[in-house]
Parts: sequence; structure tokens; C-alpha cells
Amino acid sequence: MARDKKARKTASRPGKIQAAARKPAAKAPRSPVKSARVRARATASLSVDPALFDPLTEGERVDALRVLTEDRRLATMAKIARYRVVAVEPLVVKPPHQLFGRRVARVVAYDYAADRCVDALVDLDTGVVAALQIDEKQPMLGHEEEAQAVAAALADERVKRELGLSDEPLAAMHYWSRRDVEIASSRRCAAVVFGQAGARPTLVAVVDLVDGQVTEVVPAEMW
Amino acid sequence: MSNSIEHADWKIHWKVTESAGLTIYLASYKNRRVMWEGSLPYVTVDHQRQVLSIDEESGGERHGPFWAPLGVRNLVGAIRRSDFRGGFELAADFCVGQGGPFRYTQLWRFHKDGRMAPWLVIHGPGLHESHTYHPHWRFDFDIDGAADDALEHFEGGRWTRVAEEGWLPYTGESADNATVWRQIDFGTGAEVAIRPHHWEDAELFAIKYNDAEWPPYSPRSSTAGQTFPAGYTSDESIDGEDVCLWYVAHVHHDAAFPFTAGPWIRCQF
Repeated sequence: MARDKKARKTASRPGKIQAAARKPAAKAPRSPVKSARVRARATASLSVDPALFDPLTEGERVDALRVLTEDRRLATMAKIARYRVVAVEPLVVKPPHQLFGRRVARVVAYDYAADRCVDALVDLDTGVVAALQIDEKQPMLGHEEEAQAVAAALADERVKRELGLSDEPLAAMHYWSRRDVEIASSRRCAAVVFGQAGARPTLVAVVDLVDGQVTEVVPAEMW
Repeated sequence: MSNSIEHADWKIHWKVTESAGLTIYLASYKNRRVMWEGSLPYVTVDHQRQVLSIDEESGGERHGPFWAPLGVRNLVGAIRRSDFRGGFELAADFCVGQGGPFRYTQLWRFHKDGRMAPWLVIHGPGLHESHTYHPHWRFDFDIDGAADDALEHFEGGRWTRVAEEGWLPYTGESADNATVWRQIDFGTGAEVAIRPHHWEDAELFAIKYNDAEWPPYSPRSSTAGQTFPAGYTSDESIDGEDVCLWYVAHVHHDAAFPFTAGPWIRCQF
């Protein structure tokens, strides 16, 4: 068993992790007397309605997306319409947040026009965008992006040349390079894996999703 | 099958998410809240080149990681519930792509004695032999309520209180019962103890629960910044606060696969 590969195992860790500050452990728990705030918070968390975690209905998902695209802060994104919806899921916010106890949808989208991630909370009880983050996060690929990546790879001449007769696209995954000089370091990219189902893959194509271009074609055993 | 299970002194709820696998929420043991939510936000995969050229600038890792969500789109078959002597378990199979090279079985096991096992069976086979899996679990423990918690790390032969957010690797040192980290509720003394798998080179990130630091839909915080969960860590105090823990395993693919990654977690009241 090759368990001495610690260097390789840990190679993907972030480089500037802050070590946690420490102090000696408590010898005994504090007095069980809690502040009113703490008691209230604990009580609230114990009485949360489990139904708030239930999957969104089809109508709730559509409602959340509509509310989001009608928000003025996202008017440019909605107008240019080069965004892809990544996920729409329920989010249950913990007390004492003002959204605690409300039906909330979290919508994550990627706006290709601005090259930004949109991460929003939509209060479905009131029909408003309750929180909005627009930043450089690179969220997972949405369904359409996976299909787009596969289509771009299949249309590429280098990929066509390298594929075997029975090779087919097996998976499209979110990918980024660690080398600054590569496009996949700074742009939204996918790795499309080709091969035969149930067998070792034969080829990997890196697709720049912003331009829909294949940037790299690598035999799988050389990846 | 109902998504609420009450058995073996546990009461839990479960759901399959779009990206974070089979998620457990509002889990209680002996009628006391243990966990708000536990999930598996992502599993990244790194491949290492086995033959290096002279100008390779990043060792054996010319390429970066890739990942696909473990969620509804990659779920194979139905969620399975099984009862065993002294507990019950939920299992879900995921396959990235159709007949793809990355296959997983996610397990949540609950024992009547207070143990909980969030595990991931990694089947492989990957693109080639030399690659490493990095499953990331996120545990939002609410022991007897959300606030008033402390985290301790076993190092230097004793338990040490962790004052601020940060990174707490498993160095091979553990308490007599093999646990390495424990989250304690000040008010009641109840605790959740975490015992890592000895062979997966585990590490723990401790983060103060903050609104807007919900499970990310990606490990990548930006093109230049640190990946999550490291991207969430700063110097915020976690002593007496609501603490969120990320458990990260590093599993190198070798001949002994499938490999089951993930910690043992024990609730003690």
C-alpha cells in the first residue's frame, strides 16, 4: 500500500492557510446559566420547521428566477442575457437572521457578460431579493454549460482526429489550471472526458466556456 | 420513503441536493439537537503526471483539479435505507457522467450509542492510476443550540482550546479514544468528538458561522484567491460562538480501492 505519498496527497492544499490560534482547553464547562439571547437562539433553532428544507417546487424555482431577473440591480445581466443558471435550491437561514422561518430560494448563476457569479437569496414569502452577492466565485457548471462544453469539444477538429470509433463524451466537469499562463487559470473552463463507458477514458479536452473554444487536448493517460 | 427518520435514539431528516450529495439536517440524538446540517459540498480530483519533462514547473501536477457535483444529476438509483443491529444507514450512489470514471457511494450511518458516520466510498478508476481525491464535508453542529460552543484540538499530548478560525491538521496524534477534535457546548458540557480515518491525511477547518458563508457551489472562491473552505477563514474568534467545521480528506488512488473516507463522529451528553 502506497501510503507514504503524503506530499502528493497534500499538494492541492491552499498555500496560505492560517493556522488556528489556540489556548489551553477549559477544565470544566462554564456555568449552565445562559444569557437570554443565547437561550432565545437555542430555543429558536430547536423549533425550526423541517418543511423549510423541502425541495423547491417547480413553481417556486420559476418564481425565484423571475424575481431575480426583475431586480433592478441585475437589469444589465437580464437584458444582455448571457447568464447561465447553476442552481436553485432552498436555503434555511439560522436565527437570529431576519430571514429565519421564511421560505427562501438560493439562486446561483454565472453571468458571462460580466464574467461574474451571481449568488442571491430570494424571499419567496414576500417576492423580493433579500440578499445579493456578485463576485468572482467560480460555481459548478450548470446543465446547459455541461452540454455546451460537450458540443464545443465534439466540434473541434483536434478532438475529432484523436477520438476512437467508439469513444464518446463521458463527463463534463468544472476545471481550472494552477498555471497562471494557461487560459484555464483565469477563465471559466470545463474538462470534457471521452472514452467508452465503464472503461478507462482515452482523451480530455479543455473547453473555454467564455468563447466556446477548445484550448487543450490531452490523452487521458498523459493528464 | 419519508425524508424523516426516527430510530435508534436518533431523529434526522435527509434530502438530495443539486451539488452537496445526500444532506442530513436537523439531526437530534436522544431528543437533543446535534446538527443543523451536514453535507458533502464537493469532491475534487487531482491527477499527477507520472512522467515529468525537464521544464515541468509544478512538479507532477501540470493540470489543476476538476470536479462535478454529487447531486440529483449524478445520482444512480434511489436512496437506500437499511437498518442494522444497533442503528440505521442511508446510502446513495453517484456516477459522474454516463459510465464515467468517477463513482462514489455516499453513506450516513447512525448508531444507537451516539456514533455517526458520514462516509464516502470512492470506487475510481479515474483517468489513470496516479490521482488523489479530496472529499470536503461540512458540518454545522448545533449542540444543544447553535451558540456557546468551543472547539478543542488534541496536540502536544493534551486538548487545546482553539481561539480563532483556522486550519487544524491531523498530525497522527490523538486522544486515547482516537479522537482529534471535539466541539463542546459550554452550557451543558455536551460534545461532539471527531475521529479521523488514520489513512486519509485528514484536516479540519474551523470557521465561525456567518450568514453568507453558506455551502459554496464551488471550491473556487476566485481566479486568484484561496479555495474554500480556506477562503472563509480569517482571524475571527470562535470561542463561545456558533462554529462550522469542514473536514477534508486526501485519498490517493492506489491498488487498494474502493476506499472508504470520512470520520467517525460521536455525540456524548
